[in-house]
This record gives sequence, structure tokens and C-alpha cells, in this order.
Amino acid sequence: MKHFFIDKYSEVKSPIRNLDARAKIITFFSLILLCVTTPPKALLAFGGYYLILAIMLVISKVPLSFILKRVVIAIPFILMVAAFIPFIGADVGGSYNLWGITLYQRGLLILFNVTVKALFGVAALTLLVSTTPFDELMEGLKKLGVPKVFITIASFMYRYIFVVVDETMRMKRARDSRNFEGRWIWQASAVGHMVATLFLRSYERGERVYSAMLSRGYDGEVKSLSEHPITRKDIIFTLFIISTAVLLNLSYALIKLFIGG
Amino acid sequence: MHHNKAVEIKNLHYKYPDGTSALNGVDVVIEHGETVALLGPNGAGKSTFILHLNGILRGNGEVKILGLPINGRTLKEIRRRVGLVFQDPDDQLFCPNVFEDVAFGPINMGLSKEEIVTKVNKALASVEMEGFEKRPAHHLSFGQKKRVAIASVLSMEPDMLVLDEPTSNLDPRGKGKIIEILGSLPVTKVVITHNLDEATKLCKRAIVMDEGKIVADDAIEKILSNESMLKNHGLF
Repeated sequence: MKHFFIDKYSEVKSPIRNLDARAKIITFFSLILLCVTTPPKALLAFGGYYLILAIMLVISKVPLSFILKRVVIAIPFILMVAAFIPFIGADVGGSYNLWGITLYQRGLLILFNVTVKALFGVAALTLLVSTTPFDELMEGLKKLGVPKVFITIASFMYRYIFVVVDETMRMKRARDSRNFEGRWIWQASAVGHMVATLFLRSYERGERVYSAMLSRGYDGEVKSLSEHPITRKDIIFTLFIISTAVLLNLSYALIKLFIGG
Repeated sequence: MHHNKAVEIKNLHYKYPDGTSALNGVDVVIEHGETVALLGPNGAGKSTFILHLNGILRGNGEVKILGLPINGRTLKEIRRRVGLVFQDPDDQLFCPNVFEDVAFGPINMGLSKEEIVTKVNKALASVEMEGFEKRPAHHLSFGQKKRVAIASVLSMEPDMLVLDEPTSNLDPRGKGKIIEILGSLPVTKVVITHNLDEATKLCKRAIVMDEGKIVADDAIEKILSNESMLKNHGLF
């Protein structure tokens, strides 16, 4: 069966794709951190962050629509958490009256910030994953000191999620072929059986995979050969992006300091 | 080395943790360089049996592989020299890409980088999968996965290959390819199969298992001409 892969565009050749995974991980995580810690009213700075991302997107040749689709997924989550903020709030700053409903300025600013920052985070991570094949990403995280057990879990999850999805699809087809409608509460037990079966099969597969690992001399640690030396290009990229972002992060305070606004 | 047998098993018994007995006294000797078909109905104990050939399972009985009794000290050596290919390639291929899967064994053997790369290239060439090194396993077709699974043990240059239904679920061309590859490998082979045609092509000797025991062990022509025996054990 065909699947949608999260790193679908990660093999597209581009200058960003060719950078070392470690450089990209550090850069993107710093970007997110700096964006999140930017003062709420620094609108220009937010524009700057998005501009950096947009430029990288163009260079990476990843379609904008692909990133947007991922980003849209995050919106309901943000709204669930933050949508009510403008309606409650202390009377600091002004408020608007919309047909009898009070909207607080401060709350609106918080909502704006949460949305802009969260969407930036999702977009940045999507771009990172779309320009880095999964194995390189894991390798990079490992070299950056992420505990091996997390890397192993993530790698196996990525490797087997498609196998499990396939198995679920086949089970669903077999179930629906026998006129299962899933409309009534007493049919819920069938779904329960499916979940249990899936769990058991995954558990048994886990044992078989482990046997296969032992057969080839596994002794508790997944070792890997790949070596990617950090090049000057990686360092320049990382330093350039991070220093630009640091400037953006400080811009609001600096402008205030000099102009005294 | 060659005065030893490849496999020497006496009175092997195995019970699963839930109490089901899977092997009830298996005796078998396999010489170096032999290719043996392991036949038998579903649930006969074939897969359980082959898991004893590299010490994944340790039942009661005397098991000597390549002249070495299986114990904690010989386990590593035996696993290096016995290549076990599992039936479902999704069990065998667990690494992010083909290269790492094929390199998994050699890396665990502690070889140098050059040696590992040479062995991986050689193994991939012998199953005609060169150029797929960077591909993740889930992007491969089933036939390709099967071939990479074989390469993943060939890279350890084993003295004995043990394969659990290497051609199951493959189309005729894929089956032909696997048979051709296996035929070209000059090592001792134990092959579980349900396909009697393929067994004849590959093997000179056949062992029939049923209910955890060996019920026949002879030249393959003799086994295949014994229709009543085959019928008794669900093979015909």
C-alpha cells in the first residue's frame, strides 16, 4: 500500500538538504526558541522570522502547499487552548465592544502571539523534516547527545508505523467485507477486538524483530557507520541564521532603548 | 573443520512457555555443503526447529552447530556463521535504510569501516540490489525486501544459510530470482518450503517434519515419490 511519508520531499536536492543534520537541528530549534521568547509587541520581528523561513523554503524547493497543509493541522489545537483568551482578562489596556461582547486588547495580543509563535514552530519543524531524511535526522540527534534509547524508539516507530497502518487497513477491509457498519453501540466490541489483535500482532512482531536482531549479533546497542563531518558551510549557515534571529529577538528592546518609545 | 558436521542434533525437545510442545525429539545430521529442504504442514514445528540452529531458542537436547556446542561462549560465533533469514522481511529489515540493514551484522561483528562497506557491496551485488543502499525498506517492493533480507545475512559471510520460506508470497519471476540466487551460493543451506518444485530444484535431500518430529529424511526424489507418506502429512 502507498503511504504518505512525513519526509516526502527530503530527497529533493537543494543547498538546505545538503547541510549537515546537526547544523539544521540546532538552527531550527534556536529559531523556534528565539521566536517564542520575542516580546509580544515586536510585530516586525515576527515578520522577520517568517521571512527567514520563507527564504529557506524557496531555497529548499519544498512546495509551500506541503508546509501549509501541515501547519493547518495545528490550528484547531491552538484555538482549543487560546480562543477564549480575548474574552476574559483584566482591564489592563483597552477593550473593544462587539455587539455587547467585550474583547480585551491584551487578550487579543496574547491570542495573536500564541498563534504566530505556534504556527512558526510547526512550520519550522515541518521544513526541517522535509529537508532532512529521517535517518539523517536521527543520526544528527544522536550525535547531539539525545539518549540512544529515544533514538531507537523513534527509529523503530518510523520504520514500523507503516507496517501497522497496513495491517489495520487489511483488517478493516476484511471486517467491512463482512458487512460491518460500525453504527451501533454493540458493534463497538468488534473495534475493541481489532485493537487487541493489533496490539498482540505488534507485540509478536516485536519478538520476531528482536530474534532477527539477535541473529545478526545485536548486543544491546544499534551501531551505525555513517560519518558526516561538519563543514564550513554548515557553520556559516547556522551562525548566520541564528545571529539574524538574535537581532530580531532583541530588535524591539533595542529600538525602545534608542528611540525611547 | 570439515570433519565436523554442519548440524548435529540429538533428541531435541522444546516446549513453548505456555506449555505447548513444539519439538518432540528431533534427531538430525547435516553435512557441510548440503542443501536440505525442510518440508511439513503448518504447525509441524519447522520454524521452531530452525530457531534452534543459531541459538535463538534453546531446547532440551544436544545441539552442535558447525562443530560447536551451543552455549554462552559460542553463541556469538554461531550467530555470525549461521545466517537466519526470517519469513517476513519486515521482521528482518528494521533499519532506516538498506545499507544499514545489510551492514547491521558486520557492524556488530566489529569490523573496520572498509571491510563493512566491501561486505555490504558484495552482499547487495549477489542479490542484485546494488544502488538501493539509501532506500528505506518501506519503499521497496516485497520481492526486493526478500532479496535485501537475504543480503542482510550474506554480508556476515555465513557458512550456513537457514531460510524460512524464502519464496512465499512472491510472484513467479520473484521466486525464480530467489531460487537462482540461492543456487549460486556455495554454502550449507536449510530451506523451509511448501513448494515441492522449488525444493527439487534446490535440494538433493529432504526432511519431512510433522507434530514436532522428523517423519522422513531421504533423497528428495525418494521423498517425493512416496505419495502416501506425503498425503499423510498434508504435503500432497
